[in-house]
Amino acid sequence: MTYFFQLVVSGIVVGSIYALAGLGFVLIYKSSRVLNIAHGQIIAAGAFITYALTVWLKVPLYLAFFLSMGLTFFLAMSVERVFLRRLIGEPIISVIMVTIGLMSILDGLIYLTPFGTVNYSFPEFFPKTPVDFHGVSISWTQLVGVTITFLLIALFSWFFKRSTVGISMRAVSDDQLASMSVGISVPRVFGLAWALAGMSAAAAGGIIGNITGLNFETLHAFGIIVFPVVILGGLDSIIGAVVAGIIMGLIQQFAAGYLDGHWGLNGTKDVLPYVILLIILLFKPHGLFGTHEIERV
Amino acid sequence: MSSNRWFATGNFFSSYKAEQRIFFTHLDRTVFAVFLLALFVWPLCVELSNKYMLVLDNILIAMIAIIGLNLVTGFAGLISIGHAAFVGVGAYTLAFVARQLGDSHILITHAWPLMLVLCGLVGALFGAFVGLPALRLKHLYLAIATLSFQMIFQWTINFLPLFNQGQTIPIGRIYWFTGMVSRQNHYIFWYYVILTLVVLMGLAVRNLLRTRFGRSLVAVRDNDRAADAMGMHPGLTKVFAFALAGFFAGVAGALHAYLYRGAGIESFTLHQSITYLAMAIVGGLGTLTGSFWGPAAIRFLDLQVENMVEWSAHFLPATLNLATALKPLTFGLVIVLFLMFEPRGIANWWRICRTYLKLWPYRY
Repeated sequence: MTYFFQLVVSGIVVGSIYALAGLGFVLIYKSSRVLNIAHGQIIAAGAFITYALTVWLKVPLYLAFFLSMGLTFFLAMSVERVFLRRLIGEPIISVIMVTIGLMSILDGLIYLTPFGTVNYSFPEFFPKTPVDFHGVSISWTQLVGVTITFLLIALFSWFFKRSTVGISMRAVSDDQLASMSVGISVPRVFGLAWALAGMSAAAAGGIIGNITGLNFETLHAFGIIVFPVVILGGLDSIIGAVVAGIIMGLIQQFAAGYLDGHWGLNGTKDVLPYVILLIILLFKPHGLFGTHEIERV
Repeated sequence: MSSNRWFATGNFFSSYKAEQRIFFTHLDRTVFAVFLLALFVWPLCVELSNKYMLVLDNILIAMIAIIGLNLVTGFAGLISIGHAAFVGVGAYTLAFVARQLGDSHILITHAWPLMLVLCGLVGALFGAFVGLPALRLKHLYLAIATLSFQMIFQWTINFLPLFNQGQTIPIGRIYWFTGMVSRQNHYIFWYYVILTLVVLMGLAVRNLLRTRFGRSLVAVRDNDRAADAMGMHPGLTKVFAFALAGFFAGVAGALHAYLYRGAGIESFTLHQSITYLAMAIVGGLGTLTGSFWGPAAIRFLDLQVENMVEWSAHFLPATLNLATALKPLTFGLVIVLFLMFEPRGIANWWRICRTYLKLWPYRY
């Protein structure tokens, strides 16, 4: 039973990070209908900026965390401004392909920095002894990471529900023409959506970097694992991304805990999300919380 | 329409049949035949080193794969981010047979045309399966389905002992009527085989595009509800498009495995899928000639990048890994720049040139 609870705890840790990453992805999709395939690269960039600030420039961790969120805010905003602004109104197929190109470009840029080849890891900021609760243990880094993640998710949800900017973003996602007519600048909302997504991605990157270390391959794999998460939750639902993120984290940990090593299986946690994704696409394509689009001629 | 198309001031087709012809004039047909003849004859006159022959073979294989990708992404309008996985399905079908029966079994060495077809059919099967969500979904979700197929494929190859866990699975030398194809004839032999296949498949697709099915592909891309009202089945058309793309990819994969005499996972990764997409975009989505321009242009760029990396190694520190950095960077830039400034690709340059020459010295 302890083993089961241990898996649940680590599933929630991983899942909450998926939730945060999925949140940024959904933000962009919800407001501008763009599938951002380069999300993993932004997550990686956030993690590397945090590392560079804390270790190379000796900025305290909490400050570096916020600084990297600020930097990616502007990074993502300028990405939107340079590459996607001029594609507004183009067919959706070319917009998606621009994000594929963007993924490649960011890949190349990161490989130019030392982070592309060397695996760094953060120094230990928290006590090394894990918190032990009746045999179920969780390290301090993970505990702090999960707490920050849930705080950020709550903050983003509040912002989206209550603040003026958030309300205007929801208005744009609902009906672009109508929101233009009440005086919302749609391109500005697109830029803001990218900026906020960049912020959440940087936060996710910083937390992942602290928990697992800075390997570019693992970090950018987070950008692809986001797809099963958001499809399970429904592409345009923030609450869906959060719930599905945690479900996906649990599924992965259970797969690794119970399936690996039996029947000659190995590394099942890397493939199960995608199998689930294909099954959902076949039988319940709008996910758990997504809106059903009804097309009328 | 026997008069010269180059001097005509407009289209004077008097029947749909005339408009659908592949060669409009005798001159067109002759030029095409001479060009083909030149492609077949030049290796007899010029001796090319194996390195460049391999590059040429690679370009030709990529052309077959891109014809398939162009059918599904260009003509049917469905993004496929997993095309390298479909190519991999072809290669690994061959590798699977080689692993089960031994790498020099008579099926592989003598009946290789049969194996090419078989690999194509297996690819088509997988393509149709991945395309199944198309029965109810739009392109956005399909892009994700192909991406997840890519990830599942990579996992299957990397983790199952059946496929040697991603290590290269060897494939034996093949036989022609004159006996075993030797080491020095290997690349030139495959050049001829692949070139013949490219010509055959190119003509087949050109023909397909003027049949009912080919035209329904374009109709579904442009407006699937209107196509539905005209009596086509959008979902099934899309599934067929995926199956067809899978077939071309499967043949390309089998050729790749034969050419390298083995199959390994590194040629079928997500990066390779993006390279294929870059080829299709640079060549021109939705044009058949684009499928030939794209691979050639991208491989040429690839060679230039490699040369530049070699040259820069003289004065740059060795710790800077330029080779891994510059390739994704250039591919990404090429994709983005073409999408922003020339969405119709290189194939469009030819069209622009032709109209310019036709109208010269008058401006439109």
